[in-house]
Amino acid sequence: MKEEHYVVVGNGPAGNEAATTLRDKAPSARITLIGREHRMCYRPKLLPAYLSGTIEEEGLYALPLEHYQEKDIKLRLGQRVVGLIPDRKELVLDHKEIVPFTGLILAVGGTPRIPENLHIFRELMFTLKTVSDAKRWMKHLREVEHVLMIGGDLTSFAVTQALLDMGKRVAFVLNEESFRPLRSSPEIYEEAAHVLKARGVEVIEGRRVRGMSRLGQDSIEVMVEDKRISTQMVGAFFGLVPDVGFLVRSGLHIESGVLVDETLHTGSEGIYAAGDCAQVYHPALRDYWVSIGHDNAANLGRIAAQNLLGEQIEVRVPAESIFQVDGIKVNTSWWKEF
Amino acid sequence: MPRLDITVEICGMAGDGTIAAGGLLNEAVSLGGLFVLAFDSYPAEIRGFGRCVTRARIGETPRIALEEPTHVLISLDDEQSLSRVPSLASNSVVFFDNRPPSYIPEARSLAAHLGHPTILYGMPMADLAAGAAGTTRGKNLTALGGFAAVFGIPPVLFQRVISKKFQSKGDKVLEANLKSFDAGYEYAQKEFSERLSAPFPFPEAASEGETVLTSGNQAIGQGALDAGLQLYFGYPITPATPIMEFLAQTLPAQGGRVTQMEDEISSIGAVLGACFAGRRAMTATSGPGFALMTELITHGVMSETPAVIVNAQRGGPSTGLPTKTEQSDLHAAVFGGPGDSGRIVVAPTSVAECYSYTLKSFQWAERYQIPVIVLTDFYLDNRVESISPLKPDADAAEDRTLLPDPDAKGPYERFKITESGISPRAFPGMEGFVFKATGLEHTEAGLPSYTPENHTKMSEKRHRKLLSALADLPEPEEFGPEGSLDVGVIGWGSTFGSVLEAVESALERGLKAGALKVTSLFPYHANHIRRFMHRCRAVLVPELNFEGQLADLIGHLHHRDVVRLNRVTGQPIPPTAILKRIEELIGAEAE
Repeated sequence: MKEEHYVVVGNGPAGNEAATTLRDKAPSARITLIGREHRMCYRPKLLPAYLSGTIEEEGLYALPLEHYQEKDIKLRLGQRVVGLIPDRKELVLDHKEIVPFTGLILAVGGTPRIPENLHIFRELMFTLKTVSDAKRWMKHLREVEHVLMIGGDLTSFAVTQALLDMGKRVAFVLNEESFRPLRSSPEIYEEAAHVLKARGVEVIEGRRVRGMSRLGQDSIEVMVEDKRISTQMVGAFFGLVPDVGFLVRSGLHIESGVLVDETLHTGSEGIYAAGDCAQVYHPALRDYWVSIGHDNAANLGRIAAQNLLGEQIEVRVPAESIFQVDGIKVNTSWWKEF
Repeated sequence: MPRLDITVEICGMAGDGTIAAGGLLNEAVSLGGLFVLAFDSYPAEIRGFGRCVTRARIGETPRIALEEPTHVLISLDDEQSLSRVPSLASNSVVFFDNRPPSYIPEARSLAAHLGHPTILYGMPMADLAAGAAGTTRGKNLTALGGFAAVFGIPPVLFQRVISKKFQSKGDKVLEANLKSFDAGYEYAQKEFSERLSAPFPFPEAASEGETVLTSGNQAIGQGALDAGLQLYFGYPITPATPIMEFLAQTLPAQGGRVTQMEDEISSIGAVLGACFAGRRAMTATSGPGFALMTELITHGVMSETPAVIVNAQRGGPSTGLPTKTEQSDLHAAVFGGPGDSGRIVVAPTSVAECYSYTLKSFQWAERYQIPVIVLTDFYLDNRVESISPLKPDADAAEDRTLLPDPDAKGPYERFKITESGISPRAFPGMEGFVFKATGLEHTEAGLPSYTPENHTKMSEKRHRKLLSALADLPEPEEFGPEGSLDVGVIGWGSTFGSVLEAVESALERGLKAGALKVTSLFPYHANHIRRFMHRCRAVLVPELNFEGQLADLIGHLHHRDVVRLNRVTGQPIPPTAILKRIEELIGAEAE
């Protein structure tokens, strides 16, 4: 009899929940969890606390190695999937290894989004999605006193607080993007501006960043509309984009993420997607929505695993909790986690 | 803070430059002041297929054995390296080529067999070498570059040893190799910048020349040179050939001569002839060649002619496993050949002892007029160790032959019966000392005689000589606490390093264990060995042979059966395997 080999790509909450569920429901199957980073699964929302020194690195990690040993889940970290051949049920890894599977769950998450107009300044900006990002922040923060926060998303508020805790001076370009993926409203805007100012943050209101240039080793000039702001470090927080570039030639339906039906099925036999990288069809909306946040991701991972093993569970999200940002419909329940 | 003590392994296909890379690694870290014990394993075939593995134990203090598990694996060929996976530590570091020439199925991928927490460093070894030097042949050097960067080894150490190795091959070759190394180093520094390991703790002021990396075979050759060797006769055979190669480069400069003979029989014949004539001569061979020599070795016993024969053991029987280690010629060395042909057999246990025992063997051979067999094995011959520079005693080359009294009256009796069994020995051509020599049993004058009385008398004489020699041969050495022991481990040859390290570990764990090093295998110090055995509740004898040949030889000295630990894997016994058996024996006794 052919060996059942379930592969989960992505070492975040969706991937880990999927792998654990697969093991619990399919005790004799071979299960492989592939992660691009070299690190064990960690909680990204703790990264601001880590970079401020409130918690140690060990405190970031969600699951111990023993979990994978007990569950007999092969954990392959630091290995990048670069291709998928659905018809042959094969994954291609960066080092030219072909991994066959009988079932696959894509849970690759997202990477920091940088708006197109700022792409050329990418090297001047710091994002915060990974532990490596946090280490870069920590290394650089030793040398700087002033940080300019641009874009926004709720992580940026946590980072701002961390920077203040470290005694840094912070300026914040506050505009409608600062609440991504929520739409800004006068009430939210006013409240955020008030809180930031009360904590000593210089708030630069209602302006857009147009460009930036390095003046010296620790000096960056940022053009905020017609104003030039001098800073030593720029933090960029524009949300995440699903990390699905490797699937472009796979034949799977890709938009901003992997398009899946209400059961998280991609349309290719034995292949499911979950977490931040999945765009889930909502029959009431007749459109796709994405989910953000740890709990939502884990929930989708569990459902994808159950469905891969033969169940037909539909993801149910009330239509009213889904709204649109930049053309993408987003489940607002992620709010609760921040 | 624990001191550095790690095992690094390089594995590749024959032709990948695995052994060369291992040599450079050993030289580089040794140059930086760290201690190395390294051993290569490769196929018997010259090139083209088969697995090559070089293992090095690197530390801040001298090590005496290779150990498992392996902490760092540098894979030059994934398929070959798959077999090494079981010997890796769970949190090992693995370097591999992440741009192989073709796609690899999961089942044959090294990375697929290494789950977390193994730390993987994938680097395009061959591509980097091709980009830097125009050829993929330097991929072993790009791999070393990556290793150096990750472990914080100053690149200058590698650059110096690469220059030393390749400078004779011309600037182009040297430059290509340096570029390949630099490409790997720079790649790793950039790509692995967030994952660099703690740097190797090189001593701040390592003074060059404090230790030298020396192989067992080099030490044997140097020992022979310092003993005043004049003639070497041999026929190439793995693993003894490097002795002849070493001497071919060094002996002529000392006025000596190296001659490659047509086979092993003529080699030992020529050695006996030279020694008969009063020269210092030796040969070196391995099991199959030694088998051919045995009849003439007994001729040396019968004719009381000194000779030094190195038997570098390998896997047997017959041509066996030419490039694998084994200790299965002990019986052949002690008993091989016709008749009661007792000879001296010694077995060094380290590279330094390869030197001192070879040097001393010439003295024992001359003093007791007998062939001396230096019994080594592939693991000892082929390993390199960081040792203090070899220095001979002032009288190392002095002739120990008991010469006849020139004023003696009456006819000269070459085989005169004496209390020690040693007869004054004249050389052919010495005026007034004419004698006859024969392989037949003979009288004191050397004339053939087959009478029962004469054969009995001469047999006694030849064996009395062995008893005299015993007093001159190294006593067994004891390690560990005095008094009674739960387990005593007796080791010989290359295995002793593992024995001692296992016993040291057992003592650290509070176990009552001790070790006995036996280097004089024939004749052997029975009383000393018996005394040690009687201190032990259990006696363990680990050996790299199937039959337990030392256990057979000395086991009768114990009042209980000795416990055997035999391996014929072609690889050294790791100390952990011996420690495990010690713990089992103590556990069994406790029950």
